[in-house]
Amino acid sequence: MAADIGSAPAQRPLTTGRSQGEAQVQRRSKTGIGQSFYLPQLVPALLLISFGAVVMWSASLNIAAADFKRHMIGIVLGLIVMWFVRSYDYRAFANMSTALFVFDCILMVLPRIPGLGLSENGITGWVRVPFIPISFQPSEISKIVTIFLISSLGAQYNGRIETLRDYVKLCAILCVPFLLILVQPDLGTGLIVLVVGASIIIVSGAKPSWVWVTIGMIVAVAALAIATSMMDGVPHVLKEYQLNRLIVFVDPSVDPGGSGYNLQQAKIAVGSGGLFGKGIGNASQSGTGFLPEAQTDFVFALLSEEFGFVGSAGVLLLFGWMIFATISLAQRMDSPFAKLVLAGVATMWSFQVLQEAGMCIGIMPITGIPLPFISYGSTSMVIHCTAVGIVQSVWHHRTKAA
Amino acid sequence: MRIVLIIVICALFVAFCLVLYARRRELRETFKLDIGNAVPKAAGGSDTSTETGFHRRLNGLRIFSGTIIGVLIARLWSMQLVSSDEYSKQAESNRTRTLTTSAPRGRILDRNGVELVANRSCLAVAAEPDVVDDEVEMMLLANLIGMPYYAVRRKIQNQNEGAQNKRTVAVDVSRRVVAFIDEHPYLFNGVAVEERTERLYPNGSLAAHVLGYTGTISQEALEWSEDPRNHEGIKYSAGDIVGQAGIEYQYESVLQGIRGEQVVYVDAYGSVLDSSASIDPQSGSDVVLTIDAKVQRTAEESLARVINQIRASGNKECNAGCAVAMDVTNGEIIALASAPTYNPSVFTGGISYDDWARLSSEDSASPLMNRVVSGLYPSASTIKPLGVLAALDYNIATPETSFYCSGFWTGFGEDAGQYCWDHYGHGGMNLQSGITYSCDIVFYEIGKGFYVADSEGLQETYRNWGLGTETGVDLPSEEPGRVPDAEWKWNYWDTSPDDVRQWQGGDSTNLSIGQGDILVTPLQMCCVYAGLATRGTMWKPHVLKSIRSATGSGTVIEHSPEINRSVTEPKTSYELVERGLKGVIYEESPAQAAHFTNMVETVAGKTGTAERAGREPTGWFIAFVPTDNPKYAVASLVEQGGYGSQSAMYVVRDIMGAIYDEPDTSDAVDETGAR
Repeated sequence: MAADIGSAPAQRPLTTGRSQGEAQVQRRSKTGIGQSFYLPQLVPALLLISFGAVVMWSASLNIAAADFKRHMIGIVLGLIVMWFVRSYDYRAFANMSTALFVFDCILMVLPRIPGLGLSENGITGWVRVPFIPISFQPSEISKIVTIFLISSLGAQYNGRIETLRDYVKLCAILCVPFLLILVQPDLGTGLIVLVVGASIIIVSGAKPSWVWVTIGMIVAVAALAIATSMMDGVPHVLKEYQLNRLIVFVDPSVDPGGSGYNLQQAKIAVGSGGLFGKGIGNASQSGTGFLPEAQTDFVFALLSEEFGFVGSAGVLLLFGWMIFATISLAQRMDSPFAKLVLAGVATMWSFQVLQEAGMCIGIMPITGIPLPFISYGSTSMVIHCTAVGIVQSVWHHRTKAA
Repeated sequence: MRIVLIIVICALFVAFCLVLYARRRELRETFKLDIGNAVPKAAGGSDTSTETGFHRRLNGLRIFSGTIIGVLIARLWSMQLVSSDEYSKQAESNRTRTLTTSAPRGRILDRNGVELVANRSCLAVAAEPDVVDDEVEMMLLANLIGMPYYAVRRKIQNQNEGAQNKRTVAVDVSRRVVAFIDEHPYLFNGVAVEERTERLYPNGSLAAHVLGYTGTISQEALEWSEDPRNHEGIKYSAGDIVGQAGIEYQYESVLQGIRGEQVVYVDAYGSVLDSSASIDPQSGSDVVLTIDAKVQRTAEESLARVINQIRASGNKECNAGCAVAMDVTNGEIIALASAPTYNPSVFTGGISYDDWARLSSEDSASPLMNRVVSGLYPSASTIKPLGVLAALDYNIATPETSFYCSGFWTGFGEDAGQYCWDHYGHGGMNLQSGITYSCDIVFYEIGKGFYVADSEGLQETYRNWGLGTETGVDLPSEEPGRVPDAEWKWNYWDTSPDDVRQWQGGDSTNLSIGQGDILVTPLQMCCVYAGLATRGTMWKPHVLKSIRSATGSGTVIEHSPEINRSVTEPKTSYELVERGLKGVIYEESPAQAAHFTNMVETVAGKTGTAERAGREPTGWFIAFVPTDNPKYAVASLVEQGGYGSQSAMYVVRDIMGAIYDEPDTSDAVDETGAR
């Protein structure tokens, strides 16, 4: 592991023989803010957080459950955590795979411990911190832990997983946190963990044929799970509401009063936003209760209604900028561990955006996951700030030139 | 403006993509350089493949993320820019609701201003939709009103009056209930006492068939009114009360008020957040009828009395009849009665299933049917004046032609012999006495005359006088009747052998005495006699006199009478017919004459008796009065009530008595069986 870090390419700037001008640019940025922070990723993240604050402030005008003060506390908390994470050398996790695995499992079991666990909407996914009035979702933390866990394991293969045995081992380890989240049951977060882990394994150098076979198997298992859930007399893997969400996703007109209602209302909210939106506080769909959970699960519909295409496309472009910047950094880093961690973080954001925005506009089934940096909820905010901190830590602890 | 912005956004997106592409190019070059430099290195081999592998896979991740962002933006483009209007419409309909307050219907008055249909305000208990969530409150309400709990619950759940509107729980609640609710507002949150208007019939069932009744709008009528092609009409909403029959139906657009509207903004739970300007309800216009309540009442009472007397005398088949009185100078209908009748008030607030079943069953002789306009009967002998006019017009006979009635007529041979109603025979007859004594032989000869001449002059004359066509009266469900001819018979019996389908002599003789296939409505016959009275000017019958706009603004729209048809016949023919008709009243039978000689005005009229094998005959009586300057034509018919002189005649006499204030004082009963 250590061999990877600071190996030959570290001397690249010297050996490539750059021109005088380039060296000067390098030197100038060394003294500037760009030296301490990876701005292409940090700037869009901060813009998203700011825009999220505006959205949440406007939501707090109409929605009682959206407490703007709490959201601001979440942001402040997130920024503090971001600062600490940036300062902490992420490479420390590279050799801690066993500890990470154990920690991940403990996180998943926490909500099950009597006295700690809290239930909301049928999901036992909350943990109350004893003695202080704070509760959090361990599954959110588990996303980050899983990124480090799979990255630390995948990095060992140095870009190419040679044997099927190693590949299966990686997959098996990923399955543990995934299944633990599934039984909470939190299908949405479980899927994120699975997709993020799978992405890291693929980037680690798994053979494409194995990956295709795995995807095929996952599809088969999912199809079986759905099929059994629709049949009477056999144990149902999916809960009733999960199955309804899938049915409604295929045909929203089936039950507009029930499960299809939310989807229909979300689409009306997004569509009626138009080009410029209805303006802050004028969201008739999300503001007056037609769209439930507008401050969390359907926050993208809320911002699309208030700020129109300009706002919604703007948010997506900011996400695109941030994700692409993260992948670019991964390309530039030499350490496989850094590459994998960054790939994991980029995948997490991509998939969460796809899931959250996609379900508001009817291209993904409805799941209860937040939009990074914008949705109401401090755990999510802190976790995504942590992810930003990780990217910044990678930049901060890169082997500096000269 | 909008287009420019879209273009700017497109340009920005393209620029973004280009920047990304450029960065990728730059990075690739960096790595190319890197690879080039790394090759000579000792550890190079594996490093190179590792680097390119990572590079390729991270680019794959880039495509993955880029696709996600791209797909989402494309979808947003189509939703927020392309189909935005459609979604906006849905959002708008989500957040606005229209509350309505019903407007009172216009009243219906008789020609002298007597209220036939009025409105009555009543107190109703109405509850907000969310009261249904409060079981205790519903239970209290149920106990207070004295309704079962589940009935209260069902009423509140009923969305017929609109999702946001209050739901009516009970109408006509007592003062005690109102007082209790007013004094305990904390117990009855969301419950209110409202003042409503309901249809009120101060005279009970009087003129029920003219007035008609009201009821909740039917689904088809609702859809029709919502069809944009019918945008001229009133826009109805579910639960609206509309006219279903009679004047209520015919002049629905006049009687129906314009309901008040208020658009309110609601949230997802239906709570009203804000309201916009409201429109006050505007009550409908009053309709004044040509009906005279006094004459109408007499007509109905007389009809009922005659039917009861006939039933009391042992004829249980008799259970229906009708009568109509008309002003021959302008077509105004003074009275229109149909028996059996019904009370329109059973329809207010929705008719119960039992009431409906009773009113629509065969056994009850269809009380809802207006027999004056919808009842079809053979005209019987009342048609004979037209036969005489036809015979004179087509030169089948002259006023001097003499006929001999032996009681049995063999004009078409011994085998096809036909009886006169008087089997003993009338002896020597002419056209005038043929009408007076209703001698069938005279009309068999006329029928034969037309048959031999192969002429449809008889039918021509009948049609000329309006038979076989609706009179155009302003009442719904009018029947045109039927004047049979050779073509009709041929088509009607299309599955029978040709000799049955062929028009035969017997058809012509049947037609001339008004039996067989001919069908007329009592109103058509009344119009014929009105035409005979005016010597050819037939006014369109109508019941609307004027329309008064509501709220006393005084605007009145008078109905202007119109002439339906003008028939030209020689003056001498009219005089002959009139002499014949006067003879019916004063000469045919002494008992019949006794009922009319006690009147100042001279009357001309005709009895009729429609025969149907195996049943009691249906009696007709039609007359006009006074003969020197005719003013009114009165027709009556009693189904299966025996001869016209023993049934319908009394009704006609009573109506005339009511018009001229000269009640019938005679109790003479005709024993001759004059038809």
